[in-house]
Amino acid sequence: MECAGGGGRMKLHTEMRVNRITDEVWEIPISEKSGMLVPARIYATPTILQSMDAGVFEQVTNVACLPGIRRYALCMPDGHWGYGFPIGGVAAFDVRTGIISPGGVGYDVNCGMRLMRTNLTQQDVQPLLERLMTELFRRVPAGVGASGAVRLDHSSFEDVMVRGARWCIENGYGWPQDLEAIEERGCIAGADPSKVSDQAVSRGINQLGTLGSGNHYLEVQVVASDRVFDQKIASAWGITGHDQIVVMVHCGSRGFGHQVASDYLKVFEKAMRRYGISVNDQQLACAPFTSVEGQDYFSAMNCAANTAFANRQVINHQIREAFAAVFGRSAEELGMELVYDVAHNIAKVERYPEGDLVVHRKGSTRALGPGSPDLSPRYRTTGQPVICGGSMETGSYLLAGTQAAMSDTFASTMHGSGRTMSRAQAKKTIRGEQVQKQMKQRGILVKAVSMSGLAEEAGFAYKDISEVVETVDRAGITKKVAELRPIGNIKG
Amino acid sequence: MSHSFRFLDDIATADLAFDASGDSLQELFHGATCAVIDAMADPSTVGSTWRKSVERTEEDPAELLFDWLSDLVYWKDADGVVFSTFTLTITCGDDGSWHLKGELCGESVNGLVQVLRNDVKGITKHLYHVRQEGMGWNARVVVDV
Repeated sequence: MECAGGGGRMKLHTEMRVNRITDEVWEIPISEKSGMLVPARIYATPTILQSMDAGVFEQVTNVACLPGIRRYALCMPDGHWGYGFPIGGVAAFDVRTGIISPGGVGYDVNCGMRLMRTNLTQQDVQPLLERLMTELFRRVPAGVGASGAVRLDHSSFEDVMVRGARWCIENGYGWPQDLEAIEERGCIAGADPSKVSDQAVSRGINQLGTLGSGNHYLEVQVVASDRVFDQKIASAWGITGHDQIVVMVHCGSRGFGHQVASDYLKVFEKAMRRYGISVNDQQLACAPFTSVEGQDYFSAMNCAANTAFANRQVINHQIREAFAAVFGRSAEELGMELVYDVAHNIAKVERYPEGDLVVHRKGSTRALGPGSPDLSPRYRTTGQPVICGGSMETGSYLLAGTQAAMSDTFASTMHGSGRTMSRAQAKKTIRGEQVQKQMKQRGILVKAVSMSGLAEEAGFAYKDISEVVETVDRAGITKKVAELRPIGNIKG
Repeated sequence: MSHSFRFLDDIATADLAFDASGDSLQELFHGATCAVIDAMADPSTVGSTWRKSVERTEEDPAELLFDWLSDLVYWKDADGVVFSTFTLTITCGDDGSWHLKGELCGESVNGLVQVLRNDVKGITKHLYHVRQEGMGWNARVVVDV
């Protein structure tokens, strides 16, 4: 429909009324769909709003109908349709009267981003890039059916579920100070392995330290001085510019988290009938947060979240080992400190003026502002680092959380660029070998397990991340710190 | 007896979607199984040194297909395999429930000899349906990758 509300008329992929609140915030009032309890708010520029698929409008308003929702159902500018909730979705539910839904977390529980700095520059790395990427490709298993280097028995895997990244540090896969640079210090309380199925354990027990496939990747990136937007914050996080090398990892809880989500979607489908909850989409299956089913899922989901923190921590260790082997210096000498590790698929209980809320972030990143007591001391003056991955061709961004995010969006912001073209269409448009060749010509060395998977991840299949980042920066819910340009990429 | 599947261009932007059809429920299951196997790896490049028998019973054929396809994803991760061939039969019991008896064949993942594709994480119920239309059956499945 055409959207009137200021800023001219726009063609949107919805018949619903969409009102302009600001140039970056748009609202669908509760009158637009039967059952909406709160308005839906979408963060987008007019250009991004017009490019959003119909699923975003349908799904964000479905979320607005869920019991116990507070303030708004939100969607970030990288939003597109997902299962139940849109990707880019944020919703907060009252802990006493609200629900918890696997569809609001995503199948890949605690899929997230990790960024590590180094003392190296592009000039140091370029001559050894081929060797470095080969070494990383060898040490970080990726793709279908890959199993990790860490061998666990059932009891040890339960420890991983409960202790997350802490287990890794205790077992030699990292440095104690890494924990200060991970959301929740890499270990979320309340994980109970007895709430996890045997099937989930069987799928996950061999996958610690593996990247997976799809849009998951490991990337060697460069920070140019003219792409540092906030020198003070960047410096506080060890980002110096001057063609500095950093390493980014995007992955999650792998098959383990997916099985947890699948198991509880089935449980919730039955539980909803018992609790008299009806939803507009089967993938929004949910249960009251305080119910037995709700608490069981929360405990199992926290196991998956901790396992994802551990997965990225083991990968981090393997990256340090690869760099040390290639450059002949220890990871400590190379200054390979963690900048941050943050989830973008998770549900957590957080305190807001309304009280304790179950905040669901699905394809959305926590963005705590300066002064937040939940941050480690090193981030209290800067706000929390937010890591946003773009396509493998266009680069990524490092942002900082703000007070505005805490007051406006339940401390949440974007997570990436968001796809605009389906995987099937991308594969018809280009071959993986072509993508690899074109990227090499542009100075980006790609190692991929699957060439068809590489074609699916071509840059043209994604939104322009810069416009997405500008939206959240202008809306004030995160602040640009630096842009990160890829020179090497590993894909499953 | 025939079955088919085709991946869809404009559904499931971030994942994979396919339509499968067959001139019987059993043939529909064949088509959908071929699609999931094909999404993981080129089956012509995969051997058959690993075998697993699976039996399932459900009242609803849609749930039976969902569980069977989910079994493929489970064994892919649990035993670290991809698939080459399979057999399956579907029968309807006196009580109206549907029974599946199948065998999956494949081998351990080996990227040096197999053409690997997507690490399928799960079968979803987004837009999911199994329908009997006219003389045949069809299904739409969105696969999370």
